[in-house]
Amino acid sequence: MSPSFREGAREGFRVFLPLSVGLIPWALVTGMTMGGVGFTPLQAMGMNVIVFAGTAQLGTLPLIAAGSPVWLIVVTAFVLNLRFIIFSAALARGFHGVPRAGRWLAGHLLTDGVFATCLEKMLSHEDPHWRLGYYLAPSLWSWLLWQVFAFCGVMAASSIPKGWSLEFMATIALIVLLVPVARLRPMLLAAVTGGVLAVLLRGMPLRLGVIVAIVGGIAAGFAAERWQGEGR
Amino acid sequence: MTYDWTLWIVFILIGLATTLPRGSFIVLGERATLPEGLQKALRYAPAAALAAIVVPDVVMVGGAVEALNPKLAAAIAAVLATQLSRNPWLPFIAGMGVLWAVRHFL
Repeated sequence: MSPSFREGAREGFRVFLPLSVGLIPWALVTGMTMGGVGFTPLQAMGMNVIVFAGTAQLGTLPLIAAGSPVWLIVVTAFVLNLRFIIFSAALARGFHGVPRAGRWLAGHLLTDGVFATCLEKMLSHEDPHWRLGYYLAPSLWSWLLWQVFAFCGVMAASSIPKGWSLEFMATIALIVLLVPVARLRPMLLAAVTGGVLAVLLRGMPLRLGVIVAIVGGIAAGFAAERWQGEGR
Repeated sequence: MTYDWTLWIVFILIGLATTLPRGSFIVLGERATLPEGLQKALRYAPAAALAAIVVPDVVMVGGAVEALNPKLAAAIAAVLATQLSRNPWLPFIAGMGVLWAVRHFL
C-alpha cells in the first residue's frame, strides 16, 4: 500500500462517513425482510454477502417468497441493477492502471452512495493509487455496515411474530426508493406504465408480463422525454 | 416457509446479475463506451422495474385485483410518509402500522 493510497483512503472515508449512516436503516430492513420471508440466518447472510445489492435483494425477496420461476427472479435483479451500467461507464476512466481482479472487486462493491460520493474525484485526481484508496475505503466501509446491520435485522426478525407480515417491509422499501425517482414527469410515466402493465399482463405465461411491463415502462419514459424535449 | 439448497444457486445467479452490470465498464475500461441513446433509456429501468414489482403486490390479493385492501392502504401511507418527511424510519412505521390497523380493526 503506497502512502498516496492511504491518503486517498483517509480522504474518501472522511467524506463518506456522515453519509454512510443512511445505510443503517436499509440494512436493518433488508435483514428483517430476509428473516420475514423465512430465511435461516445462514441463508440470509449468504444472500447478503453473495449479492450485496440492497435494491436487488429487496426486489427479489417478494418473488422468492412467492415461489416465482428462477429466471424471473434473476432478470428482475438484473433490471434493477441496470442503472449501474451507467455508473460503471461514468467511473471507468478512474480505474486506469488497476489490475483486472481489482476492477472486478471495485465493480462488485459499487453502490449508489459510493458512486455519488466518489465520481468527481475519481475523474479529476491525477494519482491512480490515491484514486483507488479514495474509492475502496468508502466501499469497504459500506460493505461492513451492510453486513453488520443486516445481521442485526435478521436476528430481530426471529423474535417478531409471523402474523406481523414483516415481508411487507420489502414492498415499503421499494416504495421509498420509487417515490423520489418518480418526481420527474417522464420517470413517473415510466413507473405508472410499468405498474399498470404488470397488473394487466399478469395472465401471460411464465410471468413474462413483468418483463413486458418493464420494457413498456422504459419505452414510455424514453418517449415522454423525447416528446417533452421537442415541445420546448 | 423453508428453502432447500437450490436457494444458494438462486443467490449466486442474483449475485451475477448484480455484479455484471456494476463491473461492466469498470472492467472493460477504455475499450468500450455506452451509446448515449441507450444511456438515456436505461435511466428509466429502475422506475419501471420497481413499479412493476410494487403495484401488483399492493393491488392484488390471492391473484385477483382487489382495489380496497389493507396492503394498498399501507402503501398509500408509505408514499405519504416518504413525500412529507425525511425521517428514514417513518415510511416503515406508517406502512406497517396501517397494514396492521386495517387488518385488525376493519
